[in-house]
Amino acid sequence: MSMGALLLIKRAILQLIRNPSAPVSGLGMSLFFLIVYNEGIGGIGFLPEFGQAGYLAFLFPLTIASLAMGSSSAAASSLQRDLQSGYFRRIYLSPLRRYAFVLAPLVADGVGTLSMTSVLVLVGALMGIPFQMGFLSVLGILLLSFLWGTTISAMAAGVMIRSKNHQGGQMVTMLVFPLLFFSTTFTPKELIGSEWFLRIAQFNPVTYLFEGSRFLLAGTASAEYFYLACLILVISASAATGFALMGSKRILA
Amino acid sequence: MNQPAIDLEEVKKTYGKAVQALRCISLNVDPGTKVSLLGPNGAGKSTLIGVMTGLIRPDRGRVRVCGVDPIMESTALQSRLGVVSQTNDLDPLATVMDHLVFQGRIFGLSRKTARGKADELIHAFSLEGERAKKAKALSGGNQRKLHCALAMVHDPEILFLDEPTVGLDPIGRARFWSTIDSYQNRTGASMILTTQYLEEADRHTDQMVLLIEGQIHYEGKISAFKTKVQASPCSLEDRYVEWVHEMESLQGPMRRGDAQ
Repeated sequence: MSMGALLLIKRAILQLIRNPSAPVSGLGMSLFFLIVYNEGIGGIGFLPEFGQAGYLAFLFPLTIASLAMGSSSAAASSLQRDLQSGYFRRIYLSPLRRYAFVLAPLVADGVGTLSMTSVLVLVGALMGIPFQMGFLSVLGILLLSFLWGTTISAMAAGVMIRSKNHQGGQMVTMLVFPLLFFSTTFTPKELIGSEWFLRIAQFNPVTYLFEGSRFLLAGTASAEYFYLACLILVISASAATGFALMGSKRILA
Repeated sequence: MNQPAIDLEEVKKTYGKAVQALRCISLNVDPGTKVSLLGPNGAGKSTLIGVMTGLIRPDRGRVRVCGVDPIMESTALQSRLGVVSQTNDLDPLATVMDHLVFQGRIFGLSRKTARGKADELIHAFSLEGERAKKAKALSGGNQRKLHCALAMVHDPEILFLDEPTVGLDPIGRARFWSTIDSYQNRTGASMILTTQYLEEADRHTDQMVLLIEGQIHYEGKISAFKTKVQASPCSLEDRYVEWVHEMESLQGPMRRGDAQ
């Protein structure tokens, strides 16, 4: 990677530090979900389907997914801000490779997501959520969060570049948001009564993110879910990143 | 024989279906030449600058700047160009110093060289008091100065100046031209200028291209243009207005906004 690309990444990270509203609000929303849902329906955690760790550990993957989504909207905003201010024209008229313009805010989003997920993991640990393989579980959670966040961030950036409209990027988050709920979000599949709901959950990639995380936390899901989650998210993150980077040629077209 | 700084052959650019910004432009600029690109609003000057700098892809024609295609070999070419566009294109949250050092670094200068160059340009453009200010806190004129300074950080071979002095006060304009002229004399860089201040074109360039409705109507020395229209010694502005009126009467009323 060229020095120029590294400088753009550094600038994007500094911008995120100066304006951390996306990752901070993502963390806030996740903590809100964790506390409200646990207090509201956590009483069902004694059921055997939730395992030994109770409802809090079961709910924790939702907070990881929502945090990654919340903190992954900064790249599209940053790109849009640079387009509006005309700053991209200046960078365009430099010897930097075009992909670096888009890659830089995506990397910054990834850093933001990883930082906030680390904070959330720490909060979760303090609240008593188990990490069955210790540090390896934490690394696994960070990996899943990063891949999921990159998928959302890159999709939003790719749509924003093509539509030249920040709302295009926000629409991606809005479209993906329901996927968080058509899944084994609040109860394991054994407790979901509706057949059509189960069918959607089965094909919903978020289900694998949740179950893969549950394997890493309290071990209430099988390891297969984790491997499948990694595979699905590596594919989706790569495809979304490719989609965003290909758009770099269209920024000023 | 030297390679031309700019070589355009039958370049066309249309916006949408109806707006023909550039109709069939062929132009050759030798290295070291100072050329004014003149014409009324909407004549296609900024589009032509965009095509030459790789910001705009032409529909047809061949474009070579320093011998390379500005779209296909953009990254190789950009380090040889300095562009002052009509809009200031600044990062509102970065300071004057940050802008200049960052610009130098992305053009491959070391941190130390970039800082030295930044100091030099801050002095040249009288921005000493603004060094630590964010771009959004600068006056319009100082934003313009910074924008101009940024185009010169990496010692370009060709300067594209698209209405560079708009918003500058007379002192600022004099200082700007003094900096540009001494840079041009020192390096022998080519310069393509668009401006509505015709005395600037007259004073700081020696060739001119007159663009009307996306077509070149005159190409050659400014002194020859002035004598072509009328033998008596008049200002370029008088001759220019006379010529454009004549073209308009020949072509019918010009469709303002027909070209971008």
